[in-house]
Amino acid sequence: MPKTQEKARLLETRRVAEDTHRIALYAPRITATARPGQFVMVRITSEGTDPLLNRPFSFHRIHKDDGLFEILFRVVGRGTWLLSQRKEGETLEVIGPLGNFFTLPPAHEETVALVAGGIGIAPMEEWGHRLAQWARGDEARRVYLFYGARTASEVVPTRRLERKGVTTFISTDDGTLGRCGTALDLLDQTCRDLSIRPQRLYSCGPLAMQAAVATWARQQNLPAVMSLESVMACGIGACLGCALPAVPPDDSSRIHYVHVCKEGPVFDSRKILWEKMEPMPVRPLSFVCS
Amino acid sequence: MGKDGTHARSAPELRVQLGPLSLKNPVLTASGTFGYGQEFSDFLDLARLGAVVVKGISLEPRPGNPPPRVTETPAGMLNAIGLENVGVERFLAEKLPSLRRRNATVIVNILGNSEQEYAALAERLEDAEGIAALEVNISCPNVKEGGIAFGTDPKTAARVTEAVRQKTHRPLIVKLSPNVTDIGLIARAVEAAGADIISCINTVSGMAVDVFSRRPKLANVLGGLSGPAIKPVALRCVYQVVHAVSCPVIGIGGIQTALDALEFLLVGASAVQVGTANLVRPTAAVEVLDGLERFLRHQGLASVQEYIGTLDTTCRLPQAEEACAGDG
Repeated sequence: MPKTQEKARLLETRRVAEDTHRIALYAPRITATARPGQFVMVRITSEGTDPLLNRPFSFHRIHKDDGLFEILFRVVGRGTWLLSQRKEGETLEVIGPLGNFFTLPPAHEETVALVAGGIGIAPMEEWGHRLAQWARGDEARRVYLFYGARTASEVVPTRRLERKGVTTFISTDDGTLGRCGTALDLLDQTCRDLSIRPQRLYSCGPLAMQAAVATWARQQNLPAVMSLESVMACGIGACLGCALPAVPPDDSSRIHYVHVCKEGPVFDSRKILWEKMEPMPVRPLSFVCS
Repeated sequence: MGKDGTHARSAPELRVQLGPLSLKNPVLTASGTFGYGQEFSDFLDLARLGAVVVKGISLEPRPGNPPPRVTETPAGMLNAIGLENVGVERFLAEKLPSLRRRNATVIVNILGNSEQEYAALAERLEDAEGIAALEVNISCPNVKEGGIAFGTDPKTAARVTEAVRQKTHRPLIVKLSPNVTDIGLIARAVEAAGADIISCINTVSGMAVDVFSRRPKLANVLGGLSGPAIKPVALRCVYQVVHAVSCPVIGIGGIQTALDALEFLLVGASAVQVGTANLVRPTAAVEVLDGLERFLRHQGLASVQEYIGTLDTTCRLPQAEEACAGDG
């Protein structure tokens, strides 16, 4: 699939939850070959060299017929803050589609679960949409979404997925909406309470959550397919900046890294060495723009 | 002809001769910012570039440093990749053929932990077809051994250069670090040891920390700064090296646009390498090339050679001569 650099027109920008924005970009060439799980690199500013680097965002929604896609992001630093200030009608340089993508479950699997933590909901919407189509192909197929956020105001609406037939459960860390607890607490408890037995997990969220989901999946002997993130400079496999510690192909003990932009962003959780991961620093929002 | 807007009749000559190395134009891509070329083939025609300088190659594959490896800084970025590369055998078997199929002019950047490793690499590459030149990396700030350990001392820099010189007939470029007291001194040492061309600069040693987590932003703690932020430092280094040696110089550091590239040519670089800009705009190098040609036409120049090294540093105001001379 060829990668393309395209001047995208910003068609719509909308605040969908606290510090969370969704923007629609008209970029027909990128959209034409975009697949759920893949990502784009977006140039934040059209002028100047600060911030210098593009920012990676997964496809949140892909509208093939209209030649446009949407991204969903949280304001976590100066780059995302500036992006949230861009206006409808402006153009942004976008590179994509990049990286690998989610693939449908093997034929014998009928029940799958999406697990999303915080802004990790971003790639799950388009993928949930596709899985809902997959589920319509066979009565026995079920798609669940377990979505955890910090607090009610940060929950991104999931009505579109629910309408498509994705059974959705929500939790918040502070209990202001849905069950009180993390996305993993929600997954674990709901599966017990309702005797849901997912045969496969698709997961996206902060590193600590992903590591916990990976451990849970291992205990349940389930495959977990994870969309991972990293600080990234190029997004096209040139700088090798987005390395993650991984199990070497020969299963030896030698040091091995995979690159989120090249071998990922979608990984089998068993291939990642979670214990060797450095958590990404979180900056309190009140300091982001000062 | 000239600044009044008249144009040269035919396309300006972009070919440059750097000692034994003849290049179709002076715009190259910098090692470590352009992968092995194939990463960019969706975006541009590799054959248009003066040369592709590939990611540094070592004798054995190297896994690189633990993450985080990159972080953004004002108008720049810090990296501590740690010279992750596929090793010379996979380079020759997979990467070089792919570059040749795309008719790219290839310069191979090499690095080692010892003089012997540099020499062995040069020897291994000597019989391979389709390599225009070697660039010896003695300036990577991100690994403990090799790299900068050789590049900060004129004696060791000369020894590595000599070791490679003895094993190769190819044009030999040595890439210098700005993290030294006197870059001219190192430049003279490697020129005397057999370097045909000097390229500079590699990244500037730097650091970034997070005040909330109280952790360094790079796992390696220190990293190499690149991007527009370092252009003035790079320009100064190129200027000093041009005046220290008689061999040709390739300018590197913060080049984003054709005008940036022209600054380096003006102070005397015979060619330039576009680096971090490739990571932001994959088409950056060809945009620099197109812009360079446009500039030469606008200025009514028949060749890029006419522009190289034409910086005028004479004092314009006779009565202020003393002030000029005493500046700095």
